[in-house]
Amino acid sequence: MDTLNAVLMGFISVVLINNLVFTKFLGTCPYLGVSGRIDMAFGMGMAVTFVVTLSGTLTWMIDNWILMKLGLEVTRYVCFIVVIAGAVQLVEMYLRKFLPSLYESFGIFLPLITTNCVILGLCLFLNVWMIDNLLDAAVRSFGAGVGFTIAICIMAGIRENLNLADVPGCLKGAPITLITAGLLSLAFMGFAGMIR
Amino acid sequence: MILSIINSQLWSSAWPAGLTMLGLGGGFAVVLLIANEKLKVTVDPKVEQVHKALPNLDCGACGFAGCARYAKALLSDAKLLGKCAPGGPETAAKIADILNLQVSDSGPQKRPIVHCRAHTDDKTIYGIYQGIESCTAANALANVQACAFGCLGLGDCTRACKFDALHIVDGLATVDYHKCTGCTACSKACPRNLIEMVPFRFENMMTVACSSKETGKSTRAFCKVGCIGCGLCAKQSDLFKVEDNLARFDYARYQMTEKEEAAMKKCPTKVIIYRGKTAPEPEQPAGKTTVAANA
Repeated sequence: MDTLNAVLMGFISVVLINNLVFTKFLGTCPYLGVSGRIDMAFGMGMAVTFVVTLSGTLTWMIDNWILMKLGLEVTRYVCFIVVIAGAVQLVEMYLRKFLPSLYESFGIFLPLITTNCVILGLCLFLNVWMIDNLLDAAVRSFGAGVGFTIAICIMAGIRENLNLADVPGCLKGAPITLITAGLLSLAFMGFAGMIR
Repeated sequence: MILSIINSQLWSSAWPAGLTMLGLGGGFAVVLLIANEKLKVTVDPKVEQVHKALPNLDCGACGFAGCARYAKALLSDAKLLGKCAPGGPETAAKIADILNLQVSDSGPQKRPIVHCRAHTDDKTIYGIYQGIESCTAANALANVQACAFGCLGLGDCTRACKFDALHIVDGLATVDYHKCTGCTACSKACPRNLIEMVPFRFENMMTVACSSKETGKSTRAFCKVGCIGCGLCAKQSDLFKVEDNLARFDYARYQMTEKEEAAMKKCPTKVIIYRGKTAPEPEQPAGKTTVAANA
């Protein structure tokens, strides 16, 4: 029961309280780049969720069972990037086969998931947070993806409505988007400290 | 030297690192290899062939975002054949060959004609325009120049042209017909709709190089080479028609006879000129016929 409780808390923590986009400011590139339309934002969220779950779990295993045993912590970054790049390639192949329209609309942003900081950030945070069992690591990885999806979908929803709003000329486009991102972060930071 | 490196601490911690990376990389390579086989997307080889036959300029004349998209669309809709303006009939024939289609003769190739012939000296300009260097911006202002129909000479068409075939020469957009591919980008860019795509049946086409719908009197007041709608050309040949104080030329029935030559000679403001690859230098109207010259 205790483990379940801890895992659940870990999930909520990474989705809401320590949301990687809102409180750690990671993954800002796709967060602002692909949040123009809500269906595309959701697709991007799903792709990132898949990649981050797969690579978070795999890297936790590699980190704890191979690298730490051999004392090779210095190669963490390189190993993690290899795993992430492989996972992204898998997603790309899958999308091209089964969801070609989504594949077309993502364009360059799909291979760029490789360099999405949310993913590498989470893989490294798993070590910082001292996660010591595989289940917890997997759940938190999935949570990070869900958190990213929530963030990008909220942003896309706001931006879709902003298109219809009467924004002052000097703030149209990128400036109002950045201001919106800042205010959203501010709101989510209100959760800070509820769970560690 | 080499032995000492091999026995050193550095070496003993380096080889597990290398092996780990090798294992990881190899493992993922195998997984991806299998995935690539399982998730292979078969692309119709014809798409690639058609794409190769296209000129690969990505000009957008066909209405698609680049040659690749056009090639894809061609496979599903045969009616789109012949939309490639830069490639022309040869490309259409090549594609038809690949796709087993019949080419219908689409007639002569279309080329842009600028319906204005007023250079800086010919037109009346009220003041010096110092705004944004763009015809679209200048067109929104009243009184940038006296003629509300003529070429502004700020080069929206030049910037739209991907083939370096259109330049502003002395305040007038001038087409270089040797370089032009007929992609229609300039005619879409002109805010005053001066540039019309015309089927070039001959190397040089006769045209009424004016768009002014002002009355003859006011056109004369601000332009030396504007059409005044006098109708002299229409009396010579039925290919000319005067509507809204402006002579229009029927390009669909275009033919060269003595009648049209006569109409060209009769035109008092010399607005009927040749445009094309080897078009002769247009004649200037006699000085005394224009009010502006006298004033």
